[in-house]
Amino acid sequence: MKATAAASNGLVWEEMRSRLHIRSRFMMESLQDKALIRSTYTDDEIKVLPDTHLIHLGGISIMDRGRAALAPLVEEIVEARKAHQFVLSVGGGVRERHTYALGIDLGLPTGGLASVAWMVCEQNAVMLFNLLAQHRGIQVPYLHFEMLPIYLREGSIPIVMPMPSYFFWDTPPRRGRIPPHRPDTGAYLLSEVWSMRSCLFVKDENGLYSDNPKKNSRAEFIPRISVADLLKLDPPDLPIERSVLEILQVARNRTEIRIINGLKPGTLSRALAGEDVGSTIHQ
Amino acid sequence: MKPGKVESSYSGQTLNERDVIHFDDTGDEIEILPSVHVIKIGGQSIMDRGKAAVYPLIEEIVANKPRHKMILGTGGGTRSRHVYSIAMDLGMPTGVIARLGSLVSHQNAKILHMLLCKHGGVFLLRDNFEHLALYLNAGCIPIIEGMPPYEIYERPARGGRIPESRTDTGIYLLGEVLGARSVIFVKDEDGLFAEDPKKNPRAEFIPKISVAELLERDLNDLMVERKVIELMQTARHVRQIQLVNGLKAGNLSRALDGEHVGTIIHAD
Repeated sequence: MKATAAASNGLVWEEMRSRLHIRSRFMMESLQDKALIRSTYTDDEIKVLPDTHLIHLGGISIMDRGRAALAPLVEEIVEARKAHQFVLSVGGGVRERHTYALGIDLGLPTGGLASVAWMVCEQNAVMLFNLLAQHRGIQVPYLHFEMLPIYLREGSIPIVMPMPSYFFWDTPPRRGRIPPHRPDTGAYLLSEVWSMRSCLFVKDENGLYSDNPKKNSRAEFIPRISVADLLKLDPPDLPIERSVLEILQVARNRTEIRIINGLKPGTLSRALAGEDVGSTIHQ
Repeated sequence: MKPGKVESSYSGQTLNERDVIHFDDTGDEIEILPSVHVIKIGGQSIMDRGKAAVYPLIEEIVANKPRHKMILGTGGGTRSRHVYSIAMDLGMPTGVIARLGSLVSHQNAKILHMLLCKHGGVFLLRDNFEHLALYLNAGCIPIIEGMPPYEIYERPARGGRIPESRTDTGIYLLGEVLGARSVIFVKDEDGLFAEDPKKNPRAEFIPKISVAELLERDLNDLMVERKVIELMQTARHVRQIQLVNGLKAGNLSRALDGEHVGTIIHAD
């Protein structure tokens, strides 16, 4: 296989004019070659939104609690916006779980479950938008993500629906059928691809524990841990999706996430200010 | 107000427990479209060859229409490679690169659609997934872009920046979620080789191999995306795939009839 005559600027005919290529470092490559893949690794990825924080509000832990949890949190968010730039996202919560339970009982595959679950996150994003509208909240659909810089500069509080767009293409997990890419994962992936300043998971516990503190009163609080150590520790339960930990291992930009308690006033503001509150999981 | 109260035995469950089955997931999974074949038309291997490769293949696809229900998906090819190389040079993260790649397989799907339109080709938007049965029952051939819709939610690639889930992966997952009868990858080689046969003409041909063996051999180059092999390990429906040479007339028809004409990769 030889590339022979240059057809015109940048275009290359293969022998016998069998294929027309574009000259590039990947021309005629399968993209599976290991050395080629390694050559694409670089540490200086561009920074897309480096001054913006990602704040993800838990579904069950925050939204499903209604006004009791949200009213003070919204107040705190509005106040914090004066000093910080951030994008808000929100999980699905108990209706998301109900959707999975029902869907599994009916025999839906993983991709089918992922395709119906996002509507629940959308509902939560709509509610969050309505709570924040008078304070410059704006709901930003997936297709308008390129508008975020305008909204941020204008002083808005952008709200995104973080169920990642895997839909029918979500990957079946090893056991069971729950889609592995859910709202925590989507929120975290946004903070990674946009190299955001922080990724804060706002939940209803002080952070990470060695087991689910709601079920095991002897679970130990873990203030800071590397993702490798956490996977070695292999806690029976986690406050964030396991896919987040998998991705954190190979992340380039957002190599640290924080889990904080949104039920304790002031915690979010302190986390935004860079204080060491809650639990940190780092690469 | 107390947290989440649609009362059930699952209250307090996080869905993040260690490797457990949630919600009594012991029953069978439905097959959404068990009679359909999902066929991937290679980008670099078929589309970029233009008329010489694409026209005879289309003829063969149309000839099979009375006997087989088919969904076609497209790869990217040389334009994907070019935009990846530019984006890489500019320091784009994997998620942005995946978004760029998606647009090229979209182009190829539109091209294929125009060629197949008079034979009942319909362009299938991902949002119109629910129209699949309508199209197939009307005797149409749905054509979809191969890239999965992950785009900026694509995971950072391990050890590189080329998105790991590309068009082979998208088409494979489409077949898997549908519970398809078969997933066939139409490329320009007879099947899987131990090395890229275009670089080493004496590369060993592998007619049939298990996923476990393939993972153990850990080949340096591979004709199908590694992600597909990884996903096959947990697949519920599509436990084998076939790679066939679309430049040889009759191969696709024989593969649709269940014959072994290229390389079969199987998970069991």
